[in-house]
Amino acid sequence: MLKRIMSKDSQMRAAINQKLIEMGERERLKELLRAKLVECGWKDQLKAHCKDVIREKGLEHVTVEDLVTEVTPKGRALVPDSVKKELLQRIRAFLAQHATL
Amino acid sequence: MKMEDMPLSGPDNTRLEALAHDIYSELVEDACLGLCFEVHRAVKQGYFFLDETDQESMKEFEIVDQPGVDIFGQVYNQWKNKECECPNCKRLIAASRFAPHLEKCLGMGRNSSRIANRRLASSNNMSKSESDQEDNDDLNDNDWSYGAEKKTKKRKSDKSQNSPRRSKSLKHKNGEIGSGVGAESYKYNYNTGISYETLGPDEVRSLLTTQCGVISEHTKKMCTRSQRCPQHTDEQRRAVRVFLLGPSAPTLPDADAVETDSFDIPDAQPLMSRLQWEDSDISPTDSASSKASTNHSDSRKPKKKKKPSLPLNSGGGGSGSGSLAGGGGSSSQSNISISTKKKRPKLSAPPISSIYDDLN
Repeated sequence: MLKRIMSKDSQMRAAINQKLIEMGERERLKELLRAKLVECGWKDQLKAHCKDVIREKGLEHVTVEDLVTEVTPKGRALVPDSVKKELLQRIRAFLAQHATL
Repeated sequence: MKMEDMPLSGPDNTRLEALAHDIYSELVEDACLGLCFEVHRAVKQGYFFLDETDQESMKEFEIVDQPGVDIFGQVYNQWKNKECECPNCKRLIAASRFAPHLEKCLGMGRNSSRIANRRLASSNNMSKSESDQEDNDDLNDNDWSYGAEKKTKKRKSDKSQNSPRRSKSLKHKNGEIGSGVGAESYKYNYNTGISYETLGPDEVRSLLTTQCGVISEHTKKMCTRSQRCPQHTDEQRRAVRVFLLGPSAPTLPDADAVETDSFDIPDAQPLMSRLQWEDSDISPTDSASSKASTNHSDSRKPKKKKKPSLPLNSGGGGSGSGSLAGGGGSSSQSNISISTKKKRPKLSAPPISSIYDDLN
């Protein structure tokens, strides 16, 4: 039974993700998030952190993976609550409209 | 986290919540990744550290966050409460009022001459009322409204004198005051109007049935206001209609209303005698329309023969026409041939003036 629920669940997720992309909602959400993060200074904060990382690792030898592993966890943590709440609200609204179970 | 957000209605909602959070996490990771790519590219292309200079300069321009000081470190209301001593009048003036005060005090700057003239004018106006008639002509050259301002000062002393709106009160006086007085030639009529020279007979007729149509002395344009416009009297309107549409139009039926103006000088004599004759009947109030310039002087003459009730300038126009006479005599010759063929006879006022001179 769990398997069935799980597969149903993953099916639903796939379906929803597809809908998100097809309707352009995912793109809109992404842009909204980017704008809000710039507004609240998250981007500048993280960029300063990047500078430190780069100075540490050396300008010549920095790779994308380095940056990603250093920056992503901090980035996730630095997102302000208001931004998070707003985005979750919009996602829930979309799901309420388009999720069929 | 999920437990807190969970609404109370069952497993579906938990699943939806979980899904929402997953979607959110994906979006945030996308954003982070985007930033990493951007930074990495900047590093590899060499422009990542371009906005930084040496340490000393960085310290110099660092953002300041102290109270009472702006982010550059400057005190921003430093001069608010200071007073400065004026070098001219030796008074202590507040800093924000210092510049305007200097303008007035030193007599330089845009408005200072205006205000000074105004003050002089008002003091002069109180002392002598009529004698600045002659001065007006001299002042014409300076600024078109100064002389007019003198006259109308008492009436609009509360209005702003330095604004362009000054001209408005002069407009209204044009029809009344400007008529009898020759020196008021500097007054402007700002109404948009129609020049009757360009209109055909039918257009004139239709225009006159709907609009006031009184012809302004200065611009030779017909007033486009309604039939009850306050600037012109009914007599003036009647005069214009007679003038433009022929004597038959408004009051007296007459035979030759529709001729075009072919005119030669020999015809002037009987016309002139008739005009002189009828002059006594003419009411002085019509003089407003009669101040047209010398352009009209003779081209209108042919129609005058038939108009018993010509709205001519009587005594009022006579004095004003004195100034026009010289010009009228000379231009009359040229105008005879020019302005004829197309138009109804125009208002006879200017021709009358020249006629007077001939007769006198």
